[in-house]
Amino acid sequence: MASPIKVPFVDLARQFRALEPELTEAFQEVGRSGMYIMGERLVSFERAVAVYLGVKHAIGVSDGSNALFLSMKALGIGPGDEVITAPNSFLASAWTIVAVGARPVFVDVAEDMNLDPMRLEAAITPRTRAVMPVHITGRPANMAPINEIADRHGLFVIEDAAQAIGARYHGKRVGGLGTAAGFSLHPLKNLGVYGDGGLITTDDSELASKLGKLRNHGLINRDECESWGYNSRLDPMQAVFAEIKLAHLDGWNARCRAIAATYRAGLDNVVTVPRDQQYEECVYHNFIIRTDRRDELMKHLLNLGVDTRIHYPIPIHLQKAAHNLGYREGSFPRTENDARRMISLPIYPELTDAEIDHVVQSVRSFFC
Amino acid sequence: MATARVQNYLPEQYRVTEQFDINHNYLPQQFSDHDEILAKIREVVIRGDFTLGSEVDKLEQEYAELCGAAHAIGVGSGTDALFLSLKALDIDKGDEVITTPFTFYATIGAIVTSGAKPVFADAGIDYNIDPDQIESRITSRTKAIMPVHWSGKPCDLDRIQSIADKHGIAVVADACHAIKATYKDRKIGGLGTLACYSFHPLKNLNVWGDGGIVTTNSAAHADRLRLLRNHGLVGRDECRMFAYNSRLDTVQAVVARHLLGKIDHITRSRVANAEYFDKHLGAISGITVPYREPHIYQVYHLYMVLCERRDELQHYLIANGVDAKVHYPTPMHLQPAAAFLGHKRGDFPVAERIAASALSLPVHEFITRAQQDRVIRLIRGFYG
Repeated sequence: MASPIKVPFVDLARQFRALEPELTEAFQEVGRSGMYIMGERLVSFERAVAVYLGVKHAIGVSDGSNALFLSMKALGIGPGDEVITAPNSFLASAWTIVAVGARPVFVDVAEDMNLDPMRLEAAITPRTRAVMPVHITGRPANMAPINEIADRHGLFVIEDAAQAIGARYHGKRVGGLGTAAGFSLHPLKNLGVYGDGGLITTDDSELASKLGKLRNHGLINRDECESWGYNSRLDPMQAVFAEIKLAHLDGWNARCRAIAATYRAGLDNVVTVPRDQQYEECVYHNFIIRTDRRDELMKHLLNLGVDTRIHYPIPIHLQKAAHNLGYREGSFPRTENDARRMISLPIYPELTDAEIDHVVQSVRSFFC
Repeated sequence: MATARVQNYLPEQYRVTEQFDINHNYLPQQFSDHDEILAKIREVVIRGDFTLGSEVDKLEQEYAELCGAAHAIGVGSGTDALFLSLKALDIDKGDEVITTPFTFYATIGAIVTSGAKPVFADAGIDYNIDPDQIESRITSRTKAIMPVHWSGKPCDLDRIQSIADKHGIAVVADACHAIKATYKDRKIGGLGTLACYSFHPLKNLNVWGDGGIVTTNSAAHADRLRLLRNHGLVGRDECRMFAYNSRLDTVQAVVARHLLGKIDHITRSRVANAEYFDKHLGAISGITVPYREPHIYQVYHLYMVLCERRDELQHYLIANGVDAKVHYPTPMHLQPAAAFLGHKRGDFPVAERIAASALSLPVHEFITRAQQDRVIRLIRGFYG
């Protein structure tokens, strides 16, 4: 029997419709200015988001992957170096390391699905230059012990904050917790634009200056190139959308946290649910439940009109692209076990209470 | 302080100033006709079809046909088109790529960031790489020649191809200026190994942000580029190779497709405006108009003349409301970033002479005859 309620996994049109007049006006304003590359509208967003995140500098770039890539380039990480990261992330965290010429070294995750600080030190070698903790699903990695270990070994800390804009750790927002941080403004992110977009944050002024050039052909002015660089700029057309949405971000994140609380309360006794430590504020880019009967549950939910996903079914170290890194099945038991058990439930601010309730009841009906 | 300067740096070519009534930047005029585009972008947004969406697929098919190639692959920018093309050919550290020192930074940036060493061959009187200078620079490490079709005039592709064939190396064309240009009646998108185009806002066919596209007749190169631009992904969950993220935004593909419908008009206007300038400026002593060859159809992304007392003339035109520009005053081998190559002034005399005397005048489709007449009068007056 067809379910009366359908809960799509994402529905970006809902947010767009609510903001449409404002977004359209901004689009027309940029259009009429004739300034479609860099310029004051980009600077305006960069300033606003830096203030929001509590960092000195924010540099708009073309996407979240390039945010990480350029950060490592600017820090001089390259061939012969190693960068430690988590194997359960989106591919981009690892490929950016490969792309700068360095070697990704994986460390298994802890119960919170983030890089396990207890295992970090054992992975450090004389070639290690940086740690790249991933704030997966919007949950801050446990940065205090990670930073302590990194400091002791003289390593850079690059936060992969692609999924975590607005999240807090001990009261401080992610993005200001390491040497530099990379954010994604991909349409599906908590702060998303209408194409590819990204952001680098740092408190290091020299690094920010380097990044400002590196993203724009290495130019110091129109006619002088200081060092050969890339073209990786956030389009001003997208920057104005991001600035409009930034004003709504805390409200949206609060709504996602409220939805997460409802899911948690309703599902706690049937599946493993994510929970916040008292020192952290996860922004629930994804809400991942874990169960041994994953595939059956997904099918059951689909039949009831609840669309779900897996983030991600194949851990990075088991991807074809990673075959020469020397890992195998069994290298990271917790990551691999999670990959077999996880389901991401729909979570976005525009979900209605009826839809949220339907998700909870649909999961419960499978078990009870 | 340094940071503030970088962050406030506005690319000069975008300034639409009240001071000029003849501007290089025509984007506000182009945007005045945006209703249809906005409606289509709205559809993309409502569908949520943002990443490599159906508009990108359609643009790729249309663009391949327009440029005479079997495949077109949309990417993040013209720079990335060059970079990813070199990567598709496995060009890396230890390799060399031969190109011209008279080009935009991105040509060299793409070579250097691929890991390879740029090797320069001087330009000729047509502003393009001089085929006679190429062969002596080929070594066992040379993997490709990167001719730049400067200002929209195709290089001597037959000669370059025969050199490449003889030495078994690739031809990766920087065709960023040259959409719709032809060489001996052949469309250039299918010539060479790969051709790279930019949709940067002031290109003949533009989008409203960064964008680019690669054309090729090789299905294998096309497949590899599709992996390279999108994380090496096959489907959503399988990563075949670690790669890059460099995609043409779907909303920008909407803009490109809309303007594709106008590209014939845009190109014809530019060519006609250039001819008009040629006819009237060619008679002024002190000005050398762009070189033409009967078998080449050039599309004048830039209308670049060589002139005596260039800096003075530029200031004079600017003072009189004409946005005259220099693309670009310092050739690549003399840039601070090229110091590691050990070149000095005098190494590439033709490129240096062009850089010292080149001036670009607006010829886009919104320039009127009356505006051109004013520019001509001013220049004639300047040289008295």
